[in-house]
Amino acid sequence: MAKIIGIDLGTSNSAASVMMGGKPALIPAAEGTSIGGKAFPSVVAFTKEGQLLVGEPARRQAVTNPDNTIIAAKRKMGSDHIFKVQGKDYKPQQISAFILQKIKKDAEAFLGEPVTKAVITVPAYFDDNQRQATKDAGTIAGLDVVRIINEPTAASLAFGLDKAGQDMKILVFDLGGGTLDVTIMEMGGGVFEVLSTSGDTQLGGTDMDKVLIDHVVNEFRKTTGIDLTKDSTAMTRIREASEKAKIELSTVMETDINLPFISYDQSSGPKNLELKLTRAKFEELIRPIVERCRTSIDNALRDAKLSTTDVSKIVLVGGPTRIPMVKKFVGDVIGKGPESGVDPMEAVAMGAAIQAGIIAGDVTSDIVLLDVTPLTLGVETLGGLREPLIERNTTIPTSKTKVFTTAADNQTAVTIHVVQGERPMAADNVSLGSFNLAGIPPAPRGIPQIEVKFDIDANGIINVTAKDLGTSKEAKITIQAGTKLSKEEIDNLKQDAEKFAEDDKKKKESVDIKNEAESFVYTTEKLLTQDLKDKLTQEQGIKISESVKELKEVLDKTPDEIKPKLEALKTLVNQITTELYKNISQPPQQEQQSGPSEQNTQNQGSTN
Amino acid sequence: MSEQNEDQITTEEQTSSNEIEQLKQSLNNCEDKLKRSLADYINLERKTKSDIQNGIAEKLDKFIIQFLTIYDDLVRAKEILKKENPEAQGLDGILKNIDSLLESYGVTPINALGEIFDPNLHEAIAVINDNSLDDNTITKELRKGYISRNRTLRPTLVEIAKKSQ
Repeated sequence: MAKIIGIDLGTSNSAASVMMGGKPALIPAAEGTSIGGKAFPSVVAFTKEGQLLVGEPARRQAVTNPDNTIIAAKRKMGSDHIFKVQGKDYKPQQISAFILQKIKKDAEAFLGEPVTKAVITVPAYFDDNQRQATKDAGTIAGLDVVRIINEPTAASLAFGLDKAGQDMKILVFDLGGGTLDVTIMEMGGGVFEVLSTSGDTQLGGTDMDKVLIDHVVNEFRKTTGIDLTKDSTAMTRIREASEKAKIELSTVMETDINLPFISYDQSSGPKNLELKLTRAKFEELIRPIVERCRTSIDNALRDAKLSTTDVSKIVLVGGPTRIPMVKKFVGDVIGKGPESGVDPMEAVAMGAAIQAGIIAGDVTSDIVLLDVTPLTLGVETLGGLREPLIERNTTIPTSKTKVFTTAADNQTAVTIHVVQGERPMAADNVSLGSFNLAGIPPAPRGIPQIEVKFDIDANGIINVTAKDLGTSKEAKITIQAGTKLSKEEIDNLKQDAEKFAEDDKKKKESVDIKNEAESFVYTTEKLLTQDLKDKLTQEQGIKISESVKELKEVLDKTPDEIKPKLEALKTLVNQITTELYKNISQPPQQEQQSGPSEQNTQNQGSTN
Repeated sequence: MSEQNEDQITTEEQTSSNEIEQLKQSLNNCEDKLKRSLADYINLERKTKSDIQNGIAEKLDKFIIQFLTIYDDLVRAKEILKKENPEAQGLDGILKNIDSLLESYGVTPINALGEIFDPNLHEAIAVINDNSLDDNTITKELRKGYISRNRTLRPTLVEIAKKSQ
């Protein structure tokens, strides 16, 4: 079924979103992301040559072509207003249609398929005329508008409030670039009903930007006596730096505005603008603007005949609501914290996409829910270490195979001990069971290849199979893992893993070094008795034997005692083998040793 | 008796053929779901790949845009240095190195001076009256813009000329 897109057709900015893999994804504007994120300015312009511009390019030429540039057409929707552009008349819905056409094109480029249907959002206070005009705009743009929904409803959907399963009263505080809309809704059984709306059409983030820019310009004037307002380059730099500072002050308490060479004067030379801006100062500057929001909230509550305590949820929408002070202000007025987790600038478009998804059938209860393994599954290996096979949070059904080998010469059986947990030592995890694979033909350690396969089916049942690749002999175990651990036990295991992380690391290191030392002893002894038996001088042989003996003596001691002996033996063996190769007059033919990659992981042997 | 038996058999036949129908239906459903899941997976793999690439490109673009403001400062420093000491060339080499670094990442400057204003590449922040020039001729580059991978990373800020009416 073809996708239905959700469109936030805003006064200053517009954005679109679509359901992808069960989640709403923002559709990026073709010209790339700008300061406003993936949204683009709701600006339409006609050039002298009759070319139509929409979005970012239209904004960029606004200064040069003010008569033929239209901003905020949304404010005129549903009215008889006519935009006269180059001798032609345009209704507001025609202008909005140009914006919708661009969105349609961007969406088609993003999805790689034609887009013909859309859900469009409008403010809750839009009357029938305004809603019809919005629908008409869609039709002109070649979009079948399957539904018009209220912006606050869309935002609530984005926050998943429809799924809360309880009736509630929601206050949506939507502070955009130039407008404030406060809506109070009642939600029951997934249906939203608007109780009241209030707002201010001349209040928004632009006002905050302006006071900040004024502050920067004034501070510079105070220290230098220079007025920058006539310098358009300087003002552009100040605007951008202020924007950046404003965003930074949402996360840090203090930031610097640093604009070198902001002005140049023949007599006094270059001037730099350096200004420290604290969050406190910024809040002092915007406080009067934020305070102005109170009236709209009060009015909305009064009209809905509610008191602040009746409000169960607060939803924030719009870029300026990212400012901590704004968040706190709304929270303080109502007496509870706002919802979080969704970008307030994207919430409306995302909610529109969710609504579109419900209509298109993308969001249904028929979704196959796939489980994940709550804890890592692994087997015990040499020295009591745990070798993870299936990492935690892996989506099931899944399977994973790894090849192991024996730990001792002529070992004819291995024990596969299956453990579950996050700790590196097998014994610290939960044992799920163990089984033996016997009948392995006698061979030197490291030679047999034993393939261990973990398979978890959709019900969480684990089948572990061990197979000797040499003889094709198999043994297996089935574990009903689902019944083994409760949620609490799982959480405890995870907490333990964090709590003991430091200790575990040390334990694992000590086993690792012991394993390495044992393995090196084994290889060296083999060199002495077999591979290099006739090539070593007696003196060399004795030296190595002594060093091996020293290392063997400390094998059960601490890593700090093992390490120097191991290093000593390694150095000695290296020296001797290097000498050996030097003495060979002709270089030996290069022969590539090949072997299975996982073979160095050795399974704990069992005597049988 | 025999009629009754026949009836029974027909009913049984009916039941088992119904069952077969149901099983076929359920098998078809399962096959369909499996194919869809596989297709979803392949599509996801492809999308993940492009998402990663886009993510890297986006991060790089973001970094370059921020870096360019510092680059702008160097350009300004150079211009002022030239004004105070016309012989000074110290910063020219540094700027050249930055230019070639940007170029190696596919970031190229947008030329504007003397051209006709193009809102896809330029952003007008000032207008002057000049009857000797064509309308929308760019008279000043106030800050250089850049293109990356055929997209305008940052438009060149310009001053343009208009004929007085």
